[in-house]
Amino acid sequence: MDVFFSSYGFLLAMVVQQALLGLSVYYPLLAGQLSLASIGFYSLGGYVAAIMGTHPALAALRESLGFWMFPLEWLCALVLSIILGLAVGLPVLRLRGIYLALATIAFAQVVNVTVLNMPIAGGAVGIFAIPQAFDSRLAYLFFFGPLLVLALAVAFRLERIGPGRVILSIREDELAAAAMGVPTTYYKVLPFVWGCALAGVTGAMSAPFLNTWNARQGTFDASVACLAYVLIGGARSPWGPVFGAALLVSLPEVLRPLRDSRMILNGVVLVLACVYLPRGIVGAFSSLSRRMRGVKEAAS
Amino acid sequence: MRRTLFAVLCLLLAVPALAEPVKSPIPIGIAVAQTSNVALFGEEQVNGAKIAEKYFNGQGGVNGTPIVLVFQDTAGDEAGAVNAFQNLINRDNVVAIVGPTLSQQAFAADPLADKAGVPVVGPSNTAKGIPQIGPFVGRISAPMTQVAPHSVSEALRINPKIKKVAVLYAQNDAFSSSETTTFQQAVKDLGLEIATLQKFQTTDTDFTTQVTAVLGEDVGLVIISGLAADSGNLVKQLRQLGYQGLIVGGNGLNSPNMFPVCGALCEGIMVAQAYSSSTVDANPVNKAFVEAFTAAYKKAPAQFSAQSFTAVQVVVEALRKAEKDSGKKITAMDLAAARAELNKALRTGSYLTPVGEISITPEGEVDQKSFYVSKVKMNSDGKTGEFVLVTQ
Repeated sequence: MDVFFSSYGFLLAMVVQQALLGLSVYYPLLAGQLSLASIGFYSLGGYVAAIMGTHPALAALRESLGFWMFPLEWLCALVLSIILGLAVGLPVLRLRGIYLALATIAFAQVVNVTVLNMPIAGGAVGIFAIPQAFDSRLAYLFFFGPLLVLALAVAFRLERIGPGRVILSIREDELAAAAMGVPTTYYKVLPFVWGCALAGVTGAMSAPFLNTWNARQGTFDASVACLAYVLIGGARSPWGPVFGAALLVSLPEVLRPLRDSRMILNGVVLVLACVYLPRGIVGAFSSLSRRMRGVKEAAS
Repeated sequence: MRRTLFAVLCLLLAVPALAEPVKSPIPIGIAVAQTSNVALFGEEQVNGAKIAEKYFNGQGGVNGTPIVLVFQDTAGDEAGAVNAFQNLINRDNVVAIVGPTLSQQAFAADPLADKAGVPVVGPSNTAKGIPQIGPFVGRISAPMTQVAPHSVSEALRINPKIKKVAVLYAQNDAFSSSETTTFQQAVKDLGLEIATLQKFQTTDTDFTTQVTAVLGEDVGLVIISGLAADSGNLVKQLRQLGYQGLIVGGNGLNSPNMFPVCGALCEGIMVAQAYSSSTVDANPVNKAFVEAFTAAYKKAPAQFSAQSFTAVQVVVEALRKAEKDSGKKITAMDLAAARAELNKALRTGSYLTPVGEISITPEGEVDQKSFYVSKVKMNSDGKTGEFVLVTQ
């Protein structure tokens, strides 16, 4: 058990961390908006935490705050993400479909190029020797865990309350929703900003978790990975991104004993999941359980 | 559920690590990128390390005990490096880790090994700040700031009349834009003047603007930091438009991939290298390495292979030294003690390796005695060529 946690502690925490990123893509999808901007906010949040954790000018503040420095970093990342999320979301969400996706990819690229050229962000090497909150990687679950619970709770609650239903109505048919008098821009920006904020705070928590932060955290590959968590896991339930992240993050590690062939098997599993589980893992489970219930009811 | 998790966590922190003996053969971890887009380098490192394993076991390993290399793929990202390190430290119980491939990965994974008391030898981490991560972190790859200036001083030796220099770099490439600052510093340190500083993109194919600016300044030396394809085109257009002075290239031009681009006009480009496969006459270890490598892979070894061989060699020789110093077999030691002894031994004495004589300072930084400046020599077909050693 000891060996299990010491070798897989990082992986367990990372599953939760990536699930949060998956959820940050899931929120805008609730309103039918495909946004790949999350990774840009994740990268920004990480830089906020990395700079606040290492910049010599803030040494006195760190000294006096101690552990409370970490929540302060999250707060700064949160505020920055919300402001930037609004600034990006308001004009960009006037676009639809593929154009929206392209604009959000462009945003992530802009963030990447900007930080690469900012001396304070350490250039290509990035920022390293970020102060640690915990010794064990597994203990970072104390950061990511509560945030995941909060994000899931909000997602489930949204399905039951008025504003949530309005958001879902935009996903089903934006024109019809607008015809019913729904201010669609407002209800599209809302989940978008909430997703941005979630990604930003996750980034701020991740900088100490990874020990280092650089522009490679915010690449296009990473944003595609986040989207894949949602698509493989299932885009119709908040559990989707969580299961998707758990599968996609842990699979290469679980297959590690296979050495060179592990990436081949990893790819095969993904292809099979895409072909046979078009509604994701969670979608497949729910239709399976519905069928079982149907069988039971038919029997009684 | 969360209460159980908390209980497990507390238990985890409370249970001290049990004393574990060192396995025989002695396991040495190799954590490099065997997949992802960094695998191009990682594969070369794997090849070099495998040659080292065979070579040193042929010599009797560590005073009679054989070694075994345990490979764990880091892929190209930080998380992959951390996972590979955790596996090597906790499951494979290695005495030391050679890796990871990228400096950025080292900043993520090395602190964990340092905390666990496992010596790390970086085979290709050249960024500033790597040895300072902790007392268990060291490297055998000389930082860029040490290697690059050698080509500039060599150019000055060939043509002492050089006064003005043109510096060009690929603005959108991370390595190039940081390498150029090293070059610019070297130029200033040698008392030369940077007449013009030109930027380009790695995707550019037309360099008329930059070349015109260079030709207008009557410079005696052009320094280029870029990737193989764009730099090849730049060199070609420089020569075609009449530049006749010396050309020094950065690490991106240290690649035969450039030859088909500038063809016969590549002739004479100078690059500084941390390793040269043509030092076989003066260096018996390099001779054995080059012979074994060429026999196994049908090509001459490149810098990444030589450096991973060197990293394994340094660990093996330090293990021998640790046995001698403590008077105890490594396999008779407790794993934690063996790791600590090894880390101490790594930082004492010097090693004759394929990259020349090196030693590791107490801080963990490499002290490499000689660097190599090579010059491109093209064959008569104008498409193939090679790097010929100018000097050490």
